[in-house]
Amino acid sequence: MRRCGLILLLAGVAGAMLVSGSREPRADLTIINRGAIHTVDPQRMSYLQDLILARMLFEGLVRQDIFTTGQDPIPAAAETWEIERFDEPLPNGSGATALRERYTFHLSPDSRWSNGEPIRAQDFVFSWRRAILPDTASDYAGLFMMIRGATRFAAWRQERTSAFSHESFPSSAARHAAADALWQRTLERFEQDVGIHAVDDLTLEIVLEEPTPFFLDLCAFATFFPVYPPLVEQFDVLDRDTGLIMHESGWTKPDRIVSNGPFMLTRWRFKRDMRLETNPYHRRRDDLAIRSIEIPSVEEPNACVLAFESGRVDWVSDVSAEYRARMLEQKAEFYRENADRVAELRARGLDQFQLDRLLPDDPRKNIHAVPVFGTYFYNFNCRPRLADGRTNPFADARVRRAFAMAIDKQSLVDNVVRLGNPTAHTLIPPGSIGGYESPTGLRCISDARDGAEREAVLAEARALLAQAGYPDPAAFPEVEVLFSKDGGHDLIAQAVARDWQQNLGVPVRLAQKETRIYAADMKKGDFMTARAGWYGDYGDPTTFLELNRTSDGNNDRGYHSVAYDSLLDAARIELDPVKRMSILSRAERLIMEQELPMVPLFHYVQVYLFDPDVFSGITPHPRLTQSLFLADILGDGRGPDRPRVMRASPSDPEFGERVSSN
Amino acid sequence: MLPLILRRLAQLPIILLVIYTVTLWLAWRIPGNPLENPEGRRPPAAIQEAMQRQYNLHSFPAFYTSYLANATGIRSLVRGTGPEAPGAPARAVFDLGPSLQYEDWRVNEILADALPVSITLGALAIAIALAIGVTTGVIGAWRPGSLADHATLALALVGVSLPSFVVGSLLLLVFGVWIAWMPVGGWGRPADMVLPALTLSLPFAAYIARLTRMGMLEQLSADYITTARSKGVREGAIYLRHALKNAFLPVLSFLGPAGALAMTGSFVVERVFSVPGIGQHFVNAVQNKDLFLIIGVVLVLATMMVLFNLAVDVLYRWVDPRIE
Repeated sequence: MRRCGLILLLAGVAGAMLVSGSREPRADLTIINRGAIHTVDPQRMSYLQDLILARMLFEGLVRQDIFTTGQDPIPAAAETWEIERFDEPLPNGSGATALRERYTFHLSPDSRWSNGEPIRAQDFVFSWRRAILPDTASDYAGLFMMIRGATRFAAWRQERTSAFSHESFPSSAARHAAADALWQRTLERFEQDVGIHAVDDLTLEIVLEEPTPFFLDLCAFATFFPVYPPLVEQFDVLDRDTGLIMHESGWTKPDRIVSNGPFMLTRWRFKRDMRLETNPYHRRRDDLAIRSIEIPSVEEPNACVLAFESGRVDWVSDVSAEYRARMLEQKAEFYRENADRVAELRARGLDQFQLDRLLPDDPRKNIHAVPVFGTYFYNFNCRPRLADGRTNPFADARVRRAFAMAIDKQSLVDNVVRLGNPTAHTLIPPGSIGGYESPTGLRCISDARDGAEREAVLAEARALLAQAGYPDPAAFPEVEVLFSKDGGHDLIAQAVARDWQQNLGVPVRLAQKETRIYAADMKKGDFMTARAGWYGDYGDPTTFLELNRTSDGNNDRGYHSVAYDSLLDAARIELDPVKRMSILSRAERLIMEQELPMVPLFHYVQVYLFDPDVFSGITPHPRLTQSLFLADILGDGRGPDRPRVMRASPSDPEFGERVSSN
Repeated sequence: MLPLILRRLAQLPIILLVIYTVTLWLAWRIPGNPLENPEGRRPPAAIQEAMQRQYNLHSFPAFYTSYLANATGIRSLVRGTGPEAPGAPARAVFDLGPSLQYEDWRVNEILADALPVSITLGALAIAIALAIGVTTGVIGAWRPGSLADHATLALALVGVSLPSFVVGSLLLLVFGVWIAWMPVGGWGRPADMVLPALTLSLPFAAYIARLTRMGMLEQLSADYITTARSKGVREGAIYLRHALKNAFLPVLSFLGPAGALAMTGSFVVERVFSVPGIGQHFVNAVQNKDLFLIIGVVLVLATMMVLFNLAVDVLYRWVDPRIE
């Protein structure tokens, strides 16, 4: 018995050995970011949650003024900049010239890395070279290709490293020497050919292949943020067997990372939590209204909501799908109860967060559906043949149009998605890009005002099918609808399939796959129709429209249109911004009214949870770029303590009415 | 006893090799590209090829052998554990490779973070399960068929049949939000561990209760108990000193697999309470086809299983010297 007791005691002691790490005081702000962080390396990131984090830890040459409707670029690491156009003689000696655009950025002499070292123009050169080098495998390398010579340089490097790996050498020493030489040549070639130069420590000169109106906007994007060369150089090492630069992980950990943003990373425990503290060397550290941010890793949707309701977190940046509909119903009910006041405040043109602040206290105020710079759509495979060799009925634009018309988008949004998403007739969310006029898009059955009109739309769709050689819809090849599991895609697929079956009379089969398998199938073009979506990266229509260019790496549809490609090319060389936008609008009209490589279903919304009376500094702008640089806990005696509001222009007042309840 | 321990330890590498081979073969066949963000932009084809080469993902034999060399420490014997890059930390002797999905982390780091959490949680859960299970088992066996017996049996039934995501969410709602005694999710303070440990312990507690009750009933009807009673030994002593001692043996043998199961993490409990343990990697790594992480987790769990069963066998012999 004594032995049994001893075992019990030991088990008890083992169980009681609690890992009680020393707890730091509660951070000024606690947020739940969507999903675990994949990487903190700005040049290698591509997940949305990583990009959000990057804006806290790093800072580009400029940042967007997220509270203005145009999201104008404002100074960040660069204090001022000049833009000029000039004719550059082409190197072929023909005497011909090319119109280029030169950006000269003057860095702020007060800009410092988190270790106190000054930020130099050379740091940007290093970081941008890193993004362009194919070895880095940056998902966003394409954004740099408007810089003069970048495309040629990347292609050359790729070709050289690929050749190197197939080359044979007499000895491994010879191979290593050749790898070193190739890297030296790469550096020289970059210096020589690519339009990125440090004129001096504080002056960065960028020459663009051609005038690009949205280049400044790009400079505020995470891939363009600088990394600290003395640190990163130690981790990007030349593999002398392959000739490639390999990336060792580890420099992004709290004990090593050096960053230049308003915050620095002080703790990162994998899938557990992150803590950020003010960067003591940031030139605007004294303007920050919060000193620390805690980001616990909470992935279970229920736990996210409970964490907010129990007061553990201040902001949940993306409530997962299963909760949204119920919450938005609650919010709608709250608005109905206060209908008069809401109407009055809306008439004053207040942004949605400020409007909520001026409503009576109620927990339902904390639910916010915000528009997102993205669209949910269904891809049609446009290739002449399907992956299994069969003739592809969707290669014919008339078939695609018929299928697009037969979807009841309104019912889908109201009864299936139930998030109050706007139905989509265009790829680009209308109104999200200043100066861009969206086309009307193709009419679908839910745009009909009455039953007769609806029948007419359907009759037109069936007629299109007949013209395309399918007079009997039942004889149409079975349509496969590919979608990934999770995230409510199954319900949408069922609704779309039902519309096609009932309204067109075609046979439809659902194909649900694991996300990764679904992605692989899309990439291979192994599908007939498939769910998809796209978020814009920068404030220009091309962030969506390039997706359908024949040569684009993300053209999953295999869409090929000479007319479309040439419209995009024409827009590229058009110098008049108004004309340029109109060309792009024509391009979108072509794919959204005639060609339909994809059918847009709705524009995304996201659901935030935060108490608008307590927390200010996040924007409801449809571009949905947040910069927690501006976050402020209202009424804590630090920072402006007045809510920031959306402005039509930078000259409008920055802050809204004080909230009475605080 | 020593030969037993040595024999089992000698078997361990062979078991691990077999498990490694089977796991890698299965994981390799998962379709999809682990280096790609399925919802994001795609790097050019040549870049993807270079990445595949970097991780040896282009060839099964190359991956199989290079992983084996790194994980078994052969590579570090040959090349030393010096860092790959001048600023990078030195590689572990048994290097389980990088995570393909979470590029800033190596599998060794992930496991070093997650394993202590899971072991703490599991040990606590087993301790709670023992306390609840043995107590209710003894109470049940005191008067078979009585109200107390039925009540404990019913409790045990509930404990076994209710899935932990239901129990966990319910506990979280009641103690975390409604009466707000306990924190909602998180890990680090003792209070954070109560609800997840309790949730994790219930199925084990239920099983232990039934084992204890059965064992007690069997022992109480044995001749030596009748003898003890006739000699005038007090009832309390009969129950606790004589019957429980023998009735505990089946519980002890259950503790091996149960301990390993509890300490290797529970995906559901970890998710519900946001516990940063190892269980979540089990599922997520497979979904992401994160080859290095899948194999790393499986190998660590397999090792723990073997060691736990060994520990229980050793304890068993110590408690009951009749067993050879």
